[in-house]
Amino acid sequence: MTIFLRFHDLTKSYYEGNVKRLVLQNAHAEFQPGEMTAILGKSGSGKSTLLNLISGIDAPDSGQIWVDGRNLASLPERERTLFRRARIGFIFQFFNLIPTLTVGENVSLPLELNRVPRPQAQKKAKDFLDSVGLADRWTTFPEKLSGGEQQRVALARALVHDPLLILADEPTGNLDEETGAQVMSLLAKLTREQDRTLLMVTHSAEAASYADRVLRLSHGQLVAER
Amino acid sequence: MLSLRTLLRHPIQFALMTLGIALGVAVMVGIDLANASAERAFDLSASAVTGRATHAIVAGSGGVDETLYVRLRTDPQWRGQFESAPTVRAFVASPQLGEIPFTLLGIDPFAEAPFRSYLGGGQGFDFQSIAPLLTQSGAILLSAPTAERYNLTPCMDEFNDSCRLELSINGKTRSAYLIGLLEPSNDFARRALDTLVITDIATAQSLTDTAGELTQIDLILPEDYDTAALTAALPAGNLLVASATRNDQVNTMTAAFRVNLTALSLLALLVGLFLIYNTMTFSVVQRRAMFGALRSLGYTREQVFGMVLGEAALVGALGACIGLGLGILLGQGAVQMVTQTINDLFFVVSVRGVQIPASSLLKGGLAGLFASLLAAAPPAWEAASVPPRLALSRAGLESKAGVAVNLAAVLGILAALAGGLILAIPTRDLIVSFTGTFAVIIGLAALTPFVTVTLMRLLNDPLAALFGLMGRLAPRNVIRSQSRTAVAVAALMIAVSVTIGVQVMIASFRTTVTLWLDQTLQGDLYIAAQGLSAARLDTPLAPEAVAIARSHPLAQSSAVVRVVSVETEFGSVDLVAATPDPLLDARILLEGNPEHVVREMKEGAILLSEPLAARLGIDSLNETFPLLTPEGWVQFPVAGIYADYASTRGTIRMDIDVYRSLWKDDTLNGVSLTLLSSADVDSVTADLRGQLIGFERVQVNPSGALRDDAIKIFDRTFAITTAMQLVTTLVAFIGVLSSLLALQLEKAREMGILRALGLTLAEMRRLTFWETGLLGASAGLLALPTGYILAWILIFIINQRSFGWTLQMQMEPLPFAQAFVLAVSAALLAAVYPAWRLSRMQTAEALRGE
Ligand SMILES: Nc1ncnc2c1ncn2[C@@H]1O[C@H](COP(=O)(O)OP(=O)(O)O)[C@@H](O)[C@H]1O
Ligand SMILES: [Mg+2]
Repeated sequence: MTIFLRFHDLTKSYYEGNVKRLVLQNAHAEFQPGEMTAILGKSGSGKSTLLNLISGIDAPDSGQIWVDGRNLASLPERERTLFRRARIGFIFQFFNLIPTLTVGENVSLPLELNRVPRPQAQKKAKDFLDSVGLADRWTTFPEKLSGGEQQRVALARALVHDPLLILADEPTGNLDEETGAQVMSLLAKLTREQDRTLLMVTHSAEAASYADRVLRLSHGQLVAER
Repeated sequence: MLSLRTLLRHPIQFALMTLGIALGVAVMVGIDLANASAERAFDLSASAVTGRATHAIVAGSGGVDETLYVRLRTDPQWRGQFESAPTVRAFVASPQLGEIPFTLLGIDPFAEAPFRSYLGGGQGFDFQSIAPLLTQSGAILLSAPTAERYNLTPCMDEFNDSCRLELSINGKTRSAYLIGLLEPSNDFARRALDTLVITDIATAQSLTDTAGELTQIDLILPEDYDTAALTAALPAGNLLVASATRNDQVNTMTAAFRVNLTALSLLALLVGLFLIYNTMTFSVVQRRAMFGALRSLGYTREQVFGMVLGEAALVGALGACIGLGLGILLGQGAVQMVTQTINDLFFVVSVRGVQIPASSLLKGGLAGLFASLLAAAPPAWEAASVPPRLALSRAGLESKAGVAVNLAAVLGILAALAGGLILAIPTRDLIVSFTGTFAVIIGLAALTPFVTVTLMRLLNDPLAALFGLMGRLAPRNVIRSQSRTAVAVAALMIAVSVTIGVQVMIASFRTTVTLWLDQTLQGDLYIAAQGLSAARLDTPLAPEAVAIARSHPLAQSSAVVRVVSVETEFGSVDLVAATPDPLLDARILLEGNPEHVVREMKEGAILLSEPLAARLGIDSLNETFPLLTPEGWVQFPVAGIYADYASTRGTIRMDIDVYRSLWKDDTLNGVSLTLLSSADVDSVTADLRGQLIGFERVQVNPSGALRDDAIKIFDRTFAITTAMQLVTTLVAFIGVLSSLLALQLEKAREMGILRALGLTLAEMRRLTFWETGLLGASAGLLALPTGYILAWILIFIINQRSFGWTLQMQMEPLPFAQAFVLAVSAALLAAVYPAWRLSRMQTAEALRGE
């Protein structure tokens, strides 16, 4: 089977004043296409940092990140941004949506950024909004939605432009248990249907149970949990 | 402690806020210092010359016959009843005294002691040292510090070149000799003597060519003295005036000018106030959660309120301190400009150095501090009303802002209407007029958010269709950020509309004056003697020079003018006696019948200048106007009111023949020639200059040159206005910059999401510029009508009430277009730094959440 996402020797540290704090230390892992992986870890263990490196939002101190045959760490910032725009879908814990755009516009945003012609973009966005069950909220502004609904819109937005890789940073962390479970099962269902690769950071065992594989991030290293 | 730390957490915001208030205070203090310096210089020279005199006997330009003084001293009717002292006064300048105007004061040392004690420390003169003053003609005294400043030393025994001064007096150069120094006994004496040249009466009369005449006789009348009896007993042509009233009359003439400057200087502070309000509001909103937490920890409302006010006080105090320093620097420049204008338009005053009265500094400092506290009070109140522990959602906040937009618009319209009503009050009180003006401006500024929101709603669809994502995001972001940017944009709107208002006013003024000059300067050539003031004809012309000019073979016709000051019941005014010019009167006559005016003037009627008529409240022509002639008071019929932009002091026009027969004075101040149509103006100018070369300070100018000079003086007058208006715009710019930075801080998370979705840095920057460009456009758009209204108020109300001038409003598209461009480019420029900072913003950090 082909390796779709691979990183090795990944090291990232932050300075707090003069004190250097190592967050990732020679971390390495490999992921196959279509695989759903959950990464567990304590708060502050570096989970978000890892996702930021993989998406190219941040650059590592050293190490390599290969996504679909390209070494992200060697690309200049602008290239990484364009790569992310085309290939990666993002879901955050909260405040995912652009408040000035309607639900429909939020979902079409990645298509628009990728210069998909407007009629097609609209149609596709509608389809995805339909698949998260919010087709009737097209012209609503995000602040009028509940937390669970907002996360479902974010889900549609993360998937709408057919990304190779979906990165989710504690997507249910801000939701109550029942809503969280709904969002989680929807996320799992859609990624499988679309045959996407999902990398999800969470500290909920419940959320992790949807994954094919579970890794744990501790002391800057990724170790297999299940 | 907590306050200081909060401020230091956002050092740029803190610095900008401080700078904004500092600039506001600086302009205010600078102008105040300049005004105070000019006023004090005037007061000082007035009180130095007046001394302890309570009254004076004056007689217009002709002077008081010195025999009257002798009679006052010897006639049993008056002898011993009051103190009296003769004086001869003139403005002089000398290359040895730096060419600045000095007052030549001719006195009788034996009569002086009760009047000007500073001349001799109250003991009278030390006669030993001043013997030469009485015995040698041309002998003068200066104060020791003045002599030292100009490196002059008195001659001991014999007059020679080492102590010779060339004084130019009334267009002639005379030699004078410094024979002694006066040691000022105290600070007042030192400053009083600063620009005085003291001499004996006889010397002064010979230097000024006024043998047998006194400028005035100073009197110290006992409190209950019967002034009416004295007045009645005076020979015709003489007038008893109270010294204080007279000085006041002169001083109040410049008051309008000074009030105008002060009002303009307050504008910068007002804009600074907006800046503080904006920044403090932002910082409060940002810390809502913290205030909630503090409240739940047991902080009272008052404590939270005090905390925010404390921060503002800190900023205000710091800004005020910096502003005072800057203001003193600014005052140095401003005092030059203010003095120049007063000399051009009003009277001769020499200001040496800037006075720094503690009161100006105190006023400026307190204004800065209180402006800060005032501006911070609403945000502090908001902070205090955060309920304990509850973190309010932003959405709630924004919908509150939505209500505020409409409320502000309604209140704004009401304020503007109230301002309009205040302006409608018929008064010459400038404070009232400016209050109305400020109310109108602030009222219209309150419409800014409403206009912005409406404009963005309108633009939303077209922009989205044209520019895609950017076009869709930008207007909505602008609407959403109202609560943060509205006040800054309103401040920008004010600054830009003031730019329009002032520019249109200046342009209208300039056009009116140019037109007026064209109509007034009908001759081809003008011959006059250069005096101390560039704008006034106050120097006599030698009769031989007049004869040469008038007899030039290429002259078709000539006109002459005599300018003197005459006494009226309202103080002294300039009397312009001239050859009547039918064409001229028909064109610049505002009131009166142009067909009859020339004839009426030949029969003895006079014209009043518009500012004078306005000042005295004369609008009907059925009145007569009394003037003091050498024969006594004469009632002159008023034939009309004419436009005069050369002086705000007010002038009276009279037929030269009428003047001559009443005043028995053949002196002239100017001649104008109309040349034969075949003549070349330039060659006649050169020719006459050659012929008149022997006459000192006589100048021959083609009307074009004169016109250019007048326009130059005009532009000089408004230089300070333009400078202050620039500072106001700068403060507004700082406000926009500060609010953009604040906004960026607040939107970090949102921008992080956009970055995560794949917007490149370049796209993020473009979005920033789009947003600020739209903000600038909103400010610019509202500034157009506001600027127009302001221009109208300035032209038809403020100017009219301040100076009595009617101006033609000159509407040109250019100032409006420029102002709009100014608004947009100021906003875009303010976005440069925030846009540049985008690259340093850590997306990862922004995404880490609250
Ligand atoms: N921009 C940054 N500057 C300094 N320290 C950071 C920064 N981003 C993250 N960190 C630190 O790195 C560690 C890991 O953070 P993060 O990846 O957000 O953890 P997690 O998502 O697992 O809770 C934390 O200790 C955090 O304080
Ligand atoms: Mg995290």
